[in-house]
Amino acid sequence: MTDILTGLMQETISGVALGCIYALIALGFTLIYKATEVVNFSQGEIMMVGAYMHFFFLNQFVALTGGLNAWVFLLAFIGSVIFAVLFGIILDFIINRPLKGEPVFSIIMATISLAIILRSLTAMLAGPLSLIPISPFGDHTFILGGVVISILDISIIFSAIIMMSVFYYFFNYTKWGISMKATSADSEAAQLLGIPVNKVYRYVWIFASVVGVLSGIMLAPRMALIDTSMAFLGLKAFPAAILGGFGSIKGAIVGGIILGIIETVSLGTLSFYFPWIKEINDIIVWIVLIGVLMIRPDGLFGMAKVKRV
Amino acid sequence: MKTRFEDEKLKWIPLLILLVFFFPFVLKSATFSYKYYLYVINLAGIYMILTVGLDILSGYTGLMSLGHAAFLALGAYFSAIMVDQLGLPFELSLILTPMLVGCFGFIIGFPALRVQGIYLGLTTMGFGFIVKRLIIVFNEWTGGSAGLSVSNAKLFGWTINSDWENYFIIYFFVIIAIIIGRKIVRSKLGRAFMSIRDSEQAAIASGINLAKYKMISFFISGSFAGLAGVLFAHTSNFISTDHFDILLSIYFIVMVMIGGIGSIYGAVLGTLFIVLMENLFIPLFEDGLSKFIHLETGDFQAFIFGLIMLIFIIFQPLGLYGMWLKMRIYWKIFPFNPRKRFT
Repeated sequence: MTDILTGLMQETISGVALGCIYALIALGFTLIYKATEVVNFSQGEIMMVGAYMHFFFLNQFVALTGGLNAWVFLLAFIGSVIFAVLFGIILDFIINRPLKGEPVFSIIMATISLAIILRSLTAMLAGPLSLIPISPFGDHTFILGGVVISILDISIIFSAIIMMSVFYYFFNYTKWGISMKATSADSEAAQLLGIPVNKVYRYVWIFASVVGVLSGIMLAPRMALIDTSMAFLGLKAFPAAILGGFGSIKGAIVGGIILGIIETVSLGTLSFYFPWIKEINDIIVWIVLIGVLMIRPDGLFGMAKVKRV
Repeated sequence: MKTRFEDEKLKWIPLLILLVFFFPFVLKSATFSYKYYLYVINLAGIYMILTVGLDILSGYTGLMSLGHAAFLALGAYFSAIMVDQLGLPFELSLILTPMLVGCFGFIIGFPALRVQGIYLGLTTMGFGFIVKRLIIVFNEWTGGSAGLSVSNAKLFGWTINSDWENYFIIYFFVIIAIIIGRKIVRSKLGRAFMSIRDSEQAAIASGINLAKYKMISFFISGSFAGLAGVLFAHTSNFISTDHFDILLSIYFIVMVMIGGIGSIYGAVLGTLFIVLMENLFIPLFEDGLSKFIHLETGDFQAFIFGLIMLIFIIFQPLGLYGMWLKMRIYWKIFPFNPRKRFT
């Protein structure tokens, strides 16, 4: 019995870590959807680009200083964040500006083509090699009451908590965060109140890009290697965003963590005791999603839209 | 007397049939490598049948589906199992499989009664993943992840075993699909679909049974995809789960959208555009370019494909059909065109 419990504990912890990453990717979807009603199909690709850029910066700085230390990691991190901001500005210029006022599905198509471009361009520039990433916190494990915990998971959980608190502060207490919320609630009313809606849209894209790059940096050490198939994790974060309710920040975080736990637990202990789960472990997430949507069609935290005729 | 909704465009159909019939002969006399071209055009034809159905669902009824590759897979596997393992004749499978897959569409229609918009898109996407997994789980029937080889189609004693013969059988069904699609959207059914798309509340108020018509829409769309699946299985002779990837579902939506969502001809045009661009023009372009620089083939092709699509969407957000409409209006009011409106 205790075996099952320790197993479950262990998987829950690593599930929370995985879920935090899903939550961050889902946050990127949510932000853009909230502000512009566009489903951004390229969020997973942005995350992949982030992971590659961080690796590139790390390599460059190691070559410059000749050693791997905390400063190198910090510099690479800052470099990636600066890159993310620039990337967001570029995305705004490519996707958002030219298609202003066009139907939403045109913009969705533009994000799909952007996803294709980013995936192939990364493969072309970085070559077909898979890269082995490293974490600044190492990959030791320690044992706490019989449960083996990896430093990597703990570091991911902590940095996710820090980031989410920053986002929470940003959205609820700063001027730009509140104007983003206002724009997403009703862009015309926001414009009437003097909020520069176009600027807000640009900031939303920058924000989504930064979130995507950060989740890429966090995810990379957990993946054992980076290659372009990492982008498909973006599709796996979709159910997280949907489960919590598309367009709800709280929902993205809770949905991400729930799905992360479901995934690791069903892959580990449950499939050990119920062999048939092993065969369907990669669709359990989707079954849960469909089940939840049948009961709550707008997700766990989503609000039903009131329709006017 | 002609009513407002009676279809006048069907006078195009005989011309289209002639064009489609003589096209391969022209192609054969024009180029030596016509077999590859025919193969690509056949693929486009199969996808056309599916996108016409998808357009009825997404474009006319307004129900987003991101899982249509799953219907294609169901059609392909059902037909392969029926013909090869149960020994049913191909003609029977041609009728039974679309019905069966349509019933699956019915099942997927249930969430659509409650779930809307992107939530429905993700539900259907989940259905795509589930179907793919189930195909691997039932590996005694489907061959699992190793794939399944399928026999050639036998139609009334005539074995169809080359791209040349495939072409005629596929495009026979394409034309039927287009005619049926046009007929459906111009009938009472189609008007009910469109009113659901435009406003569900207004549709209920005018006495339309939402549940019934949404289910019918899913059934029709599923059977079109099932028919495409049958043709896919028996003309490509080999199917595996890799053929029905989740990205393919997204591509189908892109085909419908780039043609112009909510128009049967648009869906056909968009499919032709995407499939030809991906399989013919870009490889040709790249062949030309590779004389000057060395490139990684697959990635470069995908890159050009994405780039062309992005540029196309930015300059022509309403798709090919929107472009055609603009051109038609331009010529209709030709000497009195207001400036700046037509670019």
